[in-house]
Amino acid sequence: MGYEALDFYDVDSLLTDEERMIRDVVRDWVDESVIPKIENACREGVFLDEWRQELGGMGILGAPLKGYGCPGLSYTAYGVICRELERGDSGIRSFASVQGSLAMYPIWDFGSEEQKEKYLPGMASGELIGCFGLTEPDYGSNPGDMVTKAEEDDDHYILNGAKMWITNGTIADLAVVWAKLDGVIRGFIVEKGDEGFSAPEMKGKHSLKASVTSELVFQDCKIPKDRILPGVKGLRGPFSCLNNARYGISWGAVGAAQSCFDSARSYAMSRIQFDHPIAAYQLVQNKLAWMLREITKAQLLAYHLGVKKDSGEWVPEHISLAKMNNVDIALEIARVARDIHGANGILDEYPVMRHMANLESVKTYEGTHDIHNLILGRHITGIQAFTREA
Amino acid sequence: MKVAVLIKQVPDTTARISIAGGSVDEGSISKWTISPYDEYALEAALKLQSESGAKVVAITLGPQRSSKSLIDAAAVGADELIHVLYEGSSGSLSLQGALAAAVRKSEADIVLAGKQAADTNSGSTAPGVAQMLGLPCVGLVSEVKAVDGNFVATRSTSSGMERVSVNGPCVFAFDKGDEELRRPNVRGIMMAKKKPIESLSPADLGVSMEDGGVNVESVGYPPEKPAGQTFQGAASASEVVTKLREEANVI
Repeated sequence: MGYEALDFYDVDSLLTDEERMIRDVVRDWVDESVIPKIENACREGVFLDEWRQELGGMGILGAPLKGYGCPGLSYTAYGVICRELERGDSGIRSFASVQGSLAMYPIWDFGSEEQKEKYLPGMASGELIGCFGLTEPDYGSNPGDMVTKAEEDDDHYILNGAKMWITNGTIADLAVVWAKLDGVIRGFIVEKGDEGFSAPEMKGKHSLKASVTSELVFQDCKIPKDRILPGVKGLRGPFSCLNNARYGISWGAVGAAQSCFDSARSYAMSRIQFDHPIAAYQLVQNKLAWMLREITKAQLLAYHLGVKKDSGEWVPEHISLAKMNNVDIALEIARVARDIHGANGILDEYPVMRHMANLESVKTYEGTHDIHNLILGRHITGIQAFTREA
Repeated sequence: MKVAVLIKQVPDTTARISIAGGSVDEGSISKWTISPYDEYALEAALKLQSESGAKVVAITLGPQRSSKSLIDAAAVGADELIHVLYEGSSGSLSLQGALAAAVRKSEADIVLAGKQAADTNSGSTAPGVAQMLGLPCVGLVSEVKAVDGNFVATRSTSSGMERVSVNGPCVFAFDKGDEELRRPNVRGIMMAKKKPIESLSPADLGVSMEDGGVNVESVGYPPEKPAGQTFQGAASASEVVTKLREEANVI
């Protein structure tokens, strides 16, 4: 039985023909190149290099960016791509999110003309991998207090500090690193092989196992002056990247939830207990109906947010709501799907436990669930509750 | 050089098929796709395009929805698109006549098509079109190359591989080959939407769809499989072995 994407309200009928074609291309690719290989990749803890090449070959990296060899698609198309990738695995979608929204986007929006021409075409084609260094061991939800710093030294900058939880770090050809220069957060492009830069991989994850997660270590790391991103100062830089990545996640989570629903429905239809498929029992139907309800709502949220992104009529709080809600329900759907699968649900024959473990990370990265609640709380009340200091 | 590829839109192999009133209920089919053997023909045409500079013209015949298969062909690189727009159903002779007229209009030098469509499996289109165009037809090919003004096709036979050289216009009917089918990329998809589709009615082509020659009378579900047989206990072993050997012919 092939994958049947739940789309109860036929939300995809609102997409353009091209968006549907792109959806089909990515969905077919996930069927052919991700699903048969993902469990083994997770066991071995690797992101397959062929995925990088094929994602680049499909021309979907940096989807909404225009020019410099980038695809120039709508934000809605970008969302659809994220959804289809995450139906395969959150790790694959993470690769694409980091590459496009966190590494390509800041170069595209804040980089110099030379930087755009040097990096973006290779990143769009997948020849160059990017990563994004914001989070530090002691500064996660509070990136503004980061300690990584840059100092001027003649015709160079010298970076010192460490970043942590960096997707793609070890395999990246370049890193967009945020560090304080004279107390102001600035973006810097650090290339693999730069003196004083290393990116050891973090091992032992129970989640996103087919995705590379790394530390970035800067010990008197020396980079030329032309590697600073000239176009932005302060937290606005990294936050505008995160807005785009979080937007993609709000779609991606729908894909993971659809995968769990598809597996749970077909398992419930074929698993016989007490002489009947378990789908014939009210408790199981209740769970499936709840999953359908939440997925349908999440789809509508993601789609409408896409429309707003494309029209430019959005605020970051809109993205917070969708990221928080959709990841939250996807994680809960994965748990309920595991429950419907009974003991079989823990096996890698089914995708549900993998999605569940992945979504624990997705709930936390790119603004934790709680931080997004605080963003909404501030929006509602006008009172920030992130810190005890006003 | 111009290569015409005949493309048929068929229900996706994963789509559920239901039958109403002796024919397939098309309204119930959720997903349509290019017939898989036609995809091999298209791939071979695109190879001729990249290796020998051929122009590829994709031709389909069918209702409005089937223009999607032309856009899919454009997304992987087809240069020209011709849609013989026909909402009705007809017999194979008139369908072949309309396709042959479209090929003639395209001024293609050779024609590539799947050996059979995934829905009807009749296998008559390629030889039928060849007959109407007065061209030879080489069937079950997996590859066609342009070599010194000739076309050299590779066919798989029961005893190995056969190479067939044709020194003029020809219709080639494709079997599944070893070629990996190219996947459209986003750039191709965005370009495809700008490519015009030449839409022609059978009348535009001077073809009547009245006398189809061969018509499908009705379709039905395959007969249900008889229930399996159950054997229990060691004593039944010899009976099972006998049945496996004599009835199932598997040992």
